[in-house]
Amino acid sequence: MSHWQEPEALPQRLEGQRKRIEQLARARGLDFFETRFVMLDATDVNAVAAYGGFPVRHPSWRFGMEWERLEKGREWGLSKIYELVVNNDPAWAYLVRGNSEMEQKLVMAHVYGHVDFFKHNIWFQPTDRSMVDTMASHGALVRALVDEHGHDAIENFMDVALSLDNLVDPWLPMRERLRTPQHSAVRAGAPALDLETVRRRSMVVEEHLPTFDVLGYLVDRAPLLAWQRELLRMVRAEAHYFMPQRLTKIMNEGWASYWHSKLLTGGILNASEIIDFADCHSGATAAPAGRLNPYKLGIELYRHAERRGLDIFRLRRAHHDVTLLDELVDEEFAHSVELFAPRKGPDGKLISWRETKELLLRELSNGGLPRIELVEDNHLQRGELLLRHHHDGRDLDSAAAQRTLAGLASVWGRGVHLDTELKGTPLRHSAAPEALRAAS
Amino acid sequence: MGMHRIEQDRARFRDIVRGRLRKDLRRYLTSTELLGRRGEHAVSIPVPQIELPRLRFGDNGGGGGGEGDGSGEGDEQGSASERSQDAAGEAGAEPGTHIVEVDVELEELAEMLGRELQLPRIEPRGDRALKVAGGRWSGVSEHGPRSLRHFKRTYRNALQRTIASGAWDPLDPRVVPLPRDERFRLKRPVEEPEASAVVFHVMDVSGSMGREQKEIVRIKAFWIDTWLRSQYANLEVVYIVHDAVAKVVDQHSFFHLRESGGTKISSAYELLLEQIQARYRPEDWNIYPFHYSDGDNWSARDTDRCIALLQDELLPRVNQFGYGQVKSAYGSGQFKKDLDLALGSDDRLVTASVDDREGVPDAMRAFLGRGR
Repeated sequence: MSHWQEPEALPQRLEGQRKRIEQLARARGLDFFETRFVMLDATDVNAVAAYGGFPVRHPSWRFGMEWERLEKGREWGLSKIYELVVNNDPAWAYLVRGNSEMEQKLVMAHVYGHVDFFKHNIWFQPTDRSMVDTMASHGALVRALVDEHGHDAIENFMDVALSLDNLVDPWLPMRERLRTPQHSAVRAGAPALDLETVRRRSMVVEEHLPTFDVLGYLVDRAPLLAWQRELLRMVRAEAHYFMPQRLTKIMNEGWASYWHSKLLTGGILNASEIIDFADCHSGATAAPAGRLNPYKLGIELYRHAERRGLDIFRLRRAHHDVTLLDELVDEEFAHSVELFAPRKGPDGKLISWRETKELLLRELSNGGLPRIELVEDNHLQRGELLLRHHHDGRDLDSAAAQRTLAGLASVWGRGVHLDTELKGTPLRHSAAPEALRAAS
Repeated sequence: MGMHRIEQDRARFRDIVRGRLRKDLRRYLTSTELLGRRGEHAVSIPVPQIELPRLRFGDNGGGGGGEGDGSGEGDEQGSASERSQDAAGEAGAEPGTHIVEVDVELEELAEMLGRELQLPRIEPRGDRALKVAGGRWSGVSEHGPRSLRHFKRTYRNALQRTIASGAWDPLDPRVVPLPRDERFRLKRPVEEPEASAVVFHVMDVSGSMGREQKEIVRIKAFWIDTWLRSQYANLEVVYIVHDAVAKVVDQHSFFHLRESGGTKISSAYELLLEQIQARYRPEDWNIYPFHYSDGDNWSARDTDRCIALLQDELLPRVNQFGYGQVKSAYGSGQFKKDLDLALGSDDRLVTASVDDREGVPDAMRAFLGRGR
């Protein structure tokens, strides 16, 4: 296995192409962070992907498992990662060695689309733009803690902490940002906030119940050892960093696909590459019947918006997936995109495009996560936590919920309860704390 | 920073998987899950991806909208965008539980098996035949080809000579080796104990052996091979099937053949003897015949013939003879009783009966528990 080093310069020929693509992209109105391309072997790209894009990330068996899965997928020819891009300033992007020149050009154009999106989409504004450094310091933190407390203690606690990592409020960082006076100063043209400040701000914890920021509440109030609190804070920071990507998957992939298509057919491709490009592009944007392919749905949305005379740059700035779909999916769009074609439901009745749209919006809401609110921290006057699942017709996976609560209880140190529904009847999951094995 | 970090993380993941495998080994011992997954050195074992529990939607969560990876669950969706070569393929792999395949070395699987069933290591019998295993480059000679020159020794000799002759100058530390300083690597023969074994899987394929009976045989054969492979550097496997006549077949036929008709077990034992005499001299081979049948034989006379063959010809030649009787709806199960009665005191013979898959581990322990 090769070793991670300072990225080599791209091969000269490819670097020439990169410059052409960058120039054209800027000319067409894209505006992105400096983007550093690194070319790696497929197996190393898989390794970086397993770490969520950060080769410097903290050690965990989960990343090893993900690598195993990606590698098997590659060996068996089932799936292949074409590109990987990291939201950071400067942005980092990975090219797979051995891809054809056409593929590399496509990927580079696609990447510039993503980086423009990272830089301008409103929901990405509170994200940590020096996440590569932050992840490295998280990695160093975890390694130091492993040295100090032993591997098992850290692993056990991290497993619990990570199983709580979706208990965050996706909208909290943006609310905090809007609340601060500096924000209006930025709008008035004052110098941008330094990244440190932005990052700290995104870590503000909501003080009052009820809150969706369960993880933040735990960071603040749970009776933890200093290092445990530090790890929980770290998990929360990483969850907030990844959240906007969850909220904008369709928009983001659509935007990148829209632009790779536009740029490549706008002067970057040679005549001899057109067929291969069409093949590659249609492969990426193929949507099997009834399945959602974010690349496909996204690109169709922007094209539809264009036909309606809307400013797509504005759209990519102001929306997330739910609001964009809500705004753009109309009858005309539904008729042209197979995902919304009328089909029979389980009861034999026809499902209209409106109903499909409703379902889709519901599914995408809250980043596709159940809405779990912390409503009481002194339930029954016993200092127990009470959480409420805002049920929207979709039940929770009960077994997983029970196990998650057990972890939560061990972090809180007292009993925890979750009110939800199962098959239409109210259900309460409860768990008592089991001593954290890590607490020794 | 090194990319080998991912390998450490994978090693940790595999450790966790091994832990589970060890815990679940009983299940694998009674299922066909691993059959056909064995390569030369490793078995590829499918394990459900280990998921951290999270509050997430359950089965009725889909609702039938345009579901897909847009509303993924649990894990972070990759910080970055990745694309599968074939969008459809990836989407199909997305929902529910991923299966990860983990390669486990045969050696390791056998070790788990050994621990689970508390199997003793096998003591190769008789005189250990010695063989020369190529040798090691552990010797040094004064003569040899330049390509084998032992640089360190050569240099050391030259240095010693230079110092001894008083020509050494620390300010100009030049050492020039002469031909007499040169040393060369030399191969030394190494003797290693011979460790070859042959397994005969002999199966009754008469009409009364059904599909389930054959599956049981199959599971047993897999684990026996796995164990013996870990005990011998060189293991050969011979498959024999019989009804009223016996023949040697390949592995595929062994597991798929369905003959019908009568059963004459002596035909198989004769063929077995013939094979041993022709190809596997007991002086050179550790010999393990395993015979699986539902215990119905042609006639009492043929059973007597079998017992005679075992007593006079086969048992003296083998490490151990295993007879596994698989319960079937039609079999009388008489053969095992007859064997036990006639030869029960001979510890080279092991008989075991298997009622169903759950009985496989016990039969395995009976077969391999004597360390022969």
